[in-house]
Amino acid sequence: MSAEYILEMNSITKEYGSNAVLKDVTLRIRPGEIHALLGENGAGKSTLMNVLFGMPVIHSTGGFKGQVFLNGEPVRILSPMDAMEKGIGMVHQEFMLIPGFSITDNIKLNREITKPWPISKILGKDLEFLDRRSMSKDARHALDSVGMGIDEYALVSGLPVGHMQFIEIAREIDKTGVKLLVFDEPTAVLTESEASQLLNVMKEIASKGIAIIFITHRLDEVMNAADNITILRDGRLVKTLAKSETTAEQLAALMIGRGDDSVIQVEKRKDAPSENIAMTIRNLWVNMPGEVCRGINLDVYEGEILGIGGLAGQGKIGIPNGVMGLYEAIGDVELFGKPLPLNNTASALKSGLAFVSEDRRGVGLLLDQSIEDNIVFSAMQVHGSYLKGPLHQKDSKKIRKTAEELIQQLDIRCTSPAQATGTLSGGNQQKVCVARALMLNPKFLFVSEPTRGIDIGAKQLVLETLVRLGREQHMTIVMVSSELQELRSICDRIAIIAEGKVASILRPEDSDAAFGLAMSGAQLKGGEAE
Amino acid sequence: MSQVQKKKHSPRIFVAIFLYALAAVLILVSIFGFYLRGAGTTTKNLNSMRTQAVLHSASGGLVDSIANQARADKLKELRSRSDFRTLGLDQVNATCDAAASAARAEAEAIYSNATVNDSTGLENSINAFEKALSVYGGLREKERAIYSDLYVTLVENVPDWTDLVDAAEGDDDKLFSSLSSWASSLALSEHAHLKSGFVKLAHAMAEKEQTADDAELLGQLTSSLTRTISDWTTLSGMDDDSLWTALCSEIEGFSENERFRSNLLQTAKKYISAAEKGEVISEEVKDSGAATVYDTVTDYSFFTASDEMSAASEGVESAYQELWSELTEIIPDLANLDKKMQKNIRTTLENTVWPGDTDFSTRFTAYAAQKGDGILSGTDAFMMRLSSLARNILIAGIALLLLATLLMFWKTLTDRFGIPRTIITLFFIYLCLAAILYDISVPMMLSNVMIRMGMYGILVLAMMPGIQCGIGLNMGMTIGCIAGLLGVVLSLQFDLVGWHGLIFACVSGALISLPLGWAYSKLLNRMKGNEMTISTYVGFSFVALMCIGWMMLPFNNPKIIWLLSGHGLRVTHSLLGSYAHLLDEFLSFEILGVEVPTGLLLFLLFCCLLMWLFSRSRTGIAMTAVGSNPRFAEASGISVNKMRTIGTVLSTMIAAVGIVIYSQAFGYAQLYTAPRQLGFIAASAILIGGATVRKAKVSHVIFGVFLFEGVLVLGQQIANAAVAGGGLSEVMRIMISNGIILYALTQTGGASRE
Repeated sequence: MSAEYILEMNSITKEYGSNAVLKDVTLRIRPGEIHALLGENGAGKSTLMNVLFGMPVIHSTGGFKGQVFLNGEPVRILSPMDAMEKGIGMVHQEFMLIPGFSITDNIKLNREITKPWPISKILGKDLEFLDRRSMSKDARHALDSVGMGIDEYALVSGLPVGHMQFIEIAREIDKTGVKLLVFDEPTAVLTESEASQLLNVMKEIASKGIAIIFITHRLDEVMNAADNITILRDGRLVKTLAKSETTAEQLAALMIGRGDDSVIQVEKRKDAPSENIAMTIRNLWVNMPGEVCRGINLDVYEGEILGIGGLAGQGKIGIPNGVMGLYEAIGDVELFGKPLPLNNTASALKSGLAFVSEDRRGVGLLLDQSIEDNIVFSAMQVHGSYLKGPLHQKDSKKIRKTAEELIQQLDIRCTSPAQATGTLSGGNQQKVCVARALMLNPKFLFVSEPTRGIDIGAKQLVLETLVRLGREQHMTIVMVSSELQELRSICDRIAIIAEGKVASILRPEDSDAAFGLAMSGAQLKGGEAE
Repeated sequence: MSQVQKKKHSPRIFVAIFLYALAAVLILVSIFGFYLRGAGTTTKNLNSMRTQAVLHSASGGLVDSIANQARADKLKELRSRSDFRTLGLDQVNATCDAAASAARAEAEAIYSNATVNDSTGLENSINAFEKALSVYGGLREKERAIYSDLYVTLVENVPDWTDLVDAAEGDDDKLFSSLSSWASSLALSEHAHLKSGFVKLAHAMAEKEQTADDAELLGQLTSSLTRTISDWTTLSGMDDDSLWTALCSEIEGFSENERFRSNLLQTAKKYISAAEKGEVISEEVKDSGAATVYDTVTDYSFFTASDEMSAASEGVESAYQELWSELTEIIPDLANLDKKMQKNIRTTLENTVWPGDTDFSTRFTAYAAQKGDGILSGTDAFMMRLSSLARNILIAGIALLLLATLLMFWKTLTDRFGIPRTIITLFFIYLCLAAILYDISVPMMLSNVMIRMGMYGILVLAMMPGIQCGIGLNMGMTIGCIAGLLGVVLSLQFDLVGWHGLIFACVSGALISLPLGWAYSKLLNRMKGNEMTISTYVGFSFVALMCIGWMMLPFNNPKIIWLLSGHGLRVTHSLLGSYAHLLDEFLSFEILGVEVPTGLLLFLLFCCLLMWLFSRSRTGIAMTAVGSNPRFAEASGISVNKMRTIGTVLSTMIAAVGIVIYSQAFGYAQLYTAPRQLGFIAASAILIGGATVRKAKVSHVIFGVFLFEGVLVLGQQIANAAVAGGGLSEVMRIMISNGIILYALTQTGGASRE
């Protein structure tokens, strides 16, 4: 019996605690189609795939609501192993290959072809010999079908990254009875030519009747390869479209989608931003793992709030970390006309920069120390303030007074200034981080992911504080955030980073499509934006 | 979530309540036990039980003696038979065994007839026992007194007596025998003019020794005469010479001992004449043949027993006579036994009541614990056991009570103090209570704890900057310790004493440790994340390296080097002549029997104050930040490596001063492998105080060193009181210190979590 859809996931709802990450999502895949799954970070793509593969994280947090049909029959997928047996394969984003094994061994791992010999007949199947010849044959066949000319007996360890991706695919194809393959951002680490080869392989696989779910950020690839497209946003199904009836712009707009539940409404500034440049960044390369910058060029004007957006892993977080000297960086940075030495946090802080890190608990706070000690720490170390006496003892009274002022000013909810920061909620911790940066009296403030992991009320307070600092104290603020909504609500300009470079600098009121395209890096081909 | 947690708690509270109940039962039982022990009404009962136990034990020995005697008699009888040689060994054994078991059965029957019916008689017999014992004790004292008189005589008369005293290693008996052998050799080498009583005694002893040896040899030869020759008639009619030749050819050992010729020939002739008359030579004849030669006479005429000695031995005799008459009243059959048997019983009784130096009641308790069930009826045995175990039951009850409290308030306590501190504190309280029960002197204990606090305090303080700057537990503080020891030996080399020496040792030790600590910190900065492993290895290997170093360093003051080889430092250096206990005794005073080492404690507090001030300074705060979150510190422009270097150097220098203070309080400086374990002791002390491998405060140091040393001092005494034989406290120290370190590491996932 052949159903119309090879996979139907109907009305999938998944909640972690009270937090719904998937709401009534439906995904239908026909045999032999390439179905693109689009969405921003956190739109629910990974959760949906976790549901499909029956990952333990789903079962251990209370399961999900909705039904899954394979070939028209309702199924319950209990584990990734179970999914594999039912003919669903996954091409992982991180390669799951054993470097010291040959390509053949990797492809046939745990599915080895064996032949019996007398002892194995007595002592069981585990002692059978490997049938290397037929294994090599199978591996060769699989490699050929993904267009790889490489020898099947080569070791994986020496291969370039691109090849590993193809071996990964070859392994999935080699499995008998595969009906559905999931490609999770397969082109993220590939060069352009490798990526186009991969797309061809995908099409070829699909032509053999195997359905493909293609997860990616790159709209041009979607337009090139996909037959149908499903877009998720904030855990909801936005739309399922056929490629023929849509454009990259429409997809981008649907992906970004401007909700009405925008975080805060801030009145737009009336005065025109200053013409004076506060910071120029030229050809900045930052070696921050997972957030590598590859030649950033950016100007920041005095008194403005500049937003830096982009998808995760594209390099937006690398910019403040590189300028502040927390990660190795090369390039030229000028602050108020003076060159700023890189890789030197102390001098960056002394020249009037301050930074609120995205890693609040890791970099931003001393969790086991009190609020007041956290707040004054940087000021004490950088400017030597809050000390008294010939022995440079800390001035507890003065510290307490300042801390109490700031607690009131930023509305930090705590029992006393002596409470340890580790016991505060995320929003209040964030306010402590901001307070610490403000104690430095900075002229220029970097704020990285200020609203990550904090509740909506706290978010609003933090953002309002930033706007107030910018408008009232004429502080220059660069805010890095993954939440486009909040960037668009408070920033004067927004730079979108893709693949380690500035893809485009947009105004908050620019169209969703423009943002979507910039984030997917589509405009890169047209050269630098602006 | 909260519901789940509640469910998790309930079984623990359940168990806690159960333990409370159990503890209450144990404590009540122990109180009853104490009542049994103390109450007047039970004393008599107990005494009767005691006597019964003693009698039982005596009867066991008695039965054994009877059985053995029967076996010996049977053997004699078999031997005297003419066909003795044709009997196989197995047959002889079997016959003897049969005789022995028959006698045993008979003796047991006699004992079982004995009934304890007269409680006054029992008490009397007990009293007689104890009296006899005390008289014996007095006798021993007297003997000792006489010995010591002899020493005094000797010291006055003998020029080289010190060598003899040394050779005796403090053992009186040894000294006595070496003295007598020395005296005899002196006398024999024609120093007859030294006519003190002692020389005579020595002569007499040497003579007696020789005679006794001869007598034993002669006895052996005589008995081999009877054993080897079965038919004496073949030897009849020989003259002396040919008889001697015949005997020599027949019996081994005769030819070498010509000097016994006449004696042996006489015996042989006696046997021959008996054989000629056709008599069987009786055992008495044989025995007398051998025995006559044993009874050699030694002339002790110059040595008279004092009046007290005679009185004491008479007292013993009369005490035993009394006891014996009491016993024969209880067991009338005893009187029918022959003299030899009675002597056996007497020895058995002696051995039963006083086999060693233990007093009667200890001996009895041990005996009762071992045999109590067997000899007493059910209830009596249980009561007796209860009364003797009352103290142990009470201690177990208290332990359970504390355990139950721990479980009941687990969350509150551990949240507040942390798990190790909670457990160690409760253990400490338990030890304090046990100390009271074991009657350990509290003032002495407190003095000990204070001295040890001062001794180890600064070494523990050395852990603090290490933890604060993020290198974790600085096991490599032994580097500082060795630098400090170098300072100490330098002060000894230059013969510096008093405050000069102490201050010189501290300062030079700290100065030496500065470059060492700096180099060590460079190593640690390259090995971030593995500091614990590295520092442990570095600590150990530096100790090993310095084992060579101590041998090679060009010290030349004869007070500190090996005198034989002329170079290399000795292992242990006494500071008694230079600055031992200088700080301890500075301003020290005694209050309520507690000796307070004021100087030592003041110095510890002073060092803690400096450390506290440092940790509140800008650098100290930066260092603490580096330790608790290096990335945070880096984001505030602090050089992580610089701060780690400061912390490591500080830790090493404090350790150098610490070991100087430790040595002066100990009174000795120990080199070579001695400092190896110090890191572990310091680490566990600060962890018990509440520090983690990431965070430490001065209060952790003080509280930790108090708890750790308190537990050790108390634990040592209680372990010695509860379990005979030493070594337990060392085992406990190792268990506590390593266990705590292990726990701290599991809590933080090791120092490698960055």
